[in-house]
Amino acid sequence: MALSGKLRSAVVIGGQGIRARKLRTFLSMISLFLGVLAVVAVQAGSEIANRALLADIELQQGKDGSVNVSLPQHAKTVEITQEVLRGHPEVVGATGTKATIGEPGVIAINPGPVPFKYADRSQGAYEVVCESNGYCEQRRVENPAPPGQAIELQLVGLTGDIRQFRPFQVRAGQWLDFGGEPSLSPGLVLNKEAATGFAQNRVPAQMRVEGGTADATPRILGVVDDGSSTPTAYVRADELFTWLSPGAATPDPRMGGGASMTLYMWPSSQPVVQTLTARLTGAGADPSQVYSNAVDSRERIGSELDLMRWIFLGMAALVLLIGVAGILNVGLATVGERIEEFALRRAVGTPRLLLAGIVLAETLIIGLLTAAAAIGVGVVGLQLAGKVLGSRTQLLQDVAFPWQAGVAGVAAGLIAGILGGLLPAIRAARIPIATVMRA
Amino acid sequence: MTPLIQISGLTKTLTGQGEPRPILSGVDLTVHSGDSVAILGRSGSGKSTLLSLIGLFDRPDGGQYLLGGKDITRVPERRAARLRSEEFGFVFQRFFLLKHLTAAQNVAMALVNGQGWAARRNRRAKVMAALEQVGIAHLAKQRPPRMSGGEQQRVAIARALVRQPKILLADEPTGALDTETGALVIDVLHSATDRGCGLILVTHDHAHANRMRRVVRLTDGVLRPEPRGVLI
Repeated sequence: MALSGKLRSAVVIGGQGIRARKLRTFLSMISLFLGVLAVVAVQAGSEIANRALLADIELQQGKDGSVNVSLPQHAKTVEITQEVLRGHPEVVGATGTKATIGEPGVIAINPGPVPFKYADRSQGAYEVVCESNGYCEQRRVENPAPPGQAIELQLVGLTGDIRQFRPFQVRAGQWLDFGGEPSLSPGLVLNKEAATGFAQNRVPAQMRVEGGTADATPRILGVVDDGSSTPTAYVRADELFTWLSPGAATPDPRMGGGASMTLYMWPSSQPVVQTLTARLTGAGADPSQVYSNAVDSRERIGSELDLMRWIFLGMAALVLLIGVAGILNVGLATVGERIEEFALRRAVGTPRLLLAGIVLAETLIIGLLTAAAAIGVGVVGLQLAGKVLGSRTQLLQDVAFPWQAGVAGVAAGLIAGILGGLLPAIRAARIPIATVMRA
Repeated sequence: MTPLIQISGLTKTLTGQGEPRPILSGVDLTVHSGDSVAILGRSGSGKSTLLSLIGLFDRPDGGQYLLGGKDITRVPERRAARLRSEEFGFVFQRFFLLKHLTAAQNVAMALVNGQGWAARRNRRAKVMAALEQVGIAHLAKQRPPRMSGGEQQRVAIARALVRQPKILLADEPTGALDTETGALVIDVLHSATDRGCGLILVTHDHAHANRMRRVVRLTDGVLRPEPRGVLI
């Protein structure tokens, strides 16, 4: 109760002091504003960068805490994986191959496939040739096919909805539907880079899959952002293998043919992997070739960003310190000016501690007001930056002001208030009543 | 009956940049409830110093100071602040009003001092009662710069009275006022003694001193009774 009375008194009297000296309060706030704004900006910047980096890693590698399991490349890998994963939507298998959509028997617009901005057919055609001893090299194709209207893609066959691990954002159309029977006309979901290629080039709807037995007529279902710059299309694995024998995807002579397969899962699905490994071992695959990798993106980017964050926070702290010096200067001058008021307050029974509290309350209120202003400017600034630069900078698209920056701003305001008010508070508490009242 | 204030052999030496200067060298003073005492003396004789010791602004070097029978000669600052809030009311020659506050807020200053917390309504009632007591309730919302000297001093007196102190200490309260206004201020101060409040008035004005029950003179650091005839 006694503390409550003192606290209330400090806040009431501090508020009166601020209202009485509006210009001085405003000047103190200006000196502090840049420092607090710097802290808010650094914190907001690092949080936004952190989120963007994390989102990027999640798109490409998987969500934090999930596990990627690489299965041995074997002729039976795809077949067994499809069998075992049936009824286990919480584990998703992905297998990759290449496909060309467009005119047959021509060099594609982006051989490789490479991103379209790097596409250059004037350099001729290259292919990767592997020998029986496992040695592979890239060789120039002699007498290559003529250039034509075709687009090369990385084709990823999925056994289930991979977005539970890699949060692809659907930009147009829809995502793959894994319910129902597979279609003979494979449904493709393109990534943004592939969609760019199809938007820029008119190609016939004829798809050849590497190692495929016949050409298919694909249906484009939608476009997603998968964070990749390689033109890629996603397809149901069962629809893909309608046109491709399971042992033919990404043939590798070193492994005696067969497709690679990566599983995306949470650690709790480990029994499924154990069953799968046992089945593959029984089929003759080498179990030592099963590699498991836990995604720890948050920890990884945390250490990457921490150093930068501390460097910028150090610079912000310096600016804040200049603001503190300003508030301290104004505070000391104010105490000198209000010496009679403080002596009078002591005369009517205000304890020294409360006098110090009044001065601290004033600087703390100033610090909080400044923090509110800096946070407000930060929020508005970020919205403006998003509107003006959002189309050019992906980092600023649909970006929200991070709450951590708000907390950092309030903390900076409070710390500055305490540091800037401490010395004036001590001075106010030491004012001798008798000397002042007699003068 | 226990006196409100009982001071015996109080000494004080002022120490500044120069030589230490003994200013009080054995002051004795007793004040009862409803009593009024005028202290006369030349400038620099130590009247204000004595008042600051009585009001616990400062501590004596020697002697004894009993307040309501309790020894507060060496009272620690925290308790001194509470005593200043609860037992004493102060009126100064310069009114020491805060210009940015209204008359009511200036009076309320004595209530918002960390010594307990009164609800706003309760506080307002006390403030208005104090302003009423000194006859300026109608000026509650005025700020000091728009008030006359007499009105300002009455606000200062209301501030001193709002906590219903046992002792009122007034240090030359009429020094900055004309004779007529000064007399009105003394009336207000004197009326407080009717309600049992003790009053110690430091003044140079014999007419005002003469209205107190007792008059003493501070000479050579000692208080001596002043013969009434001298004051006329």
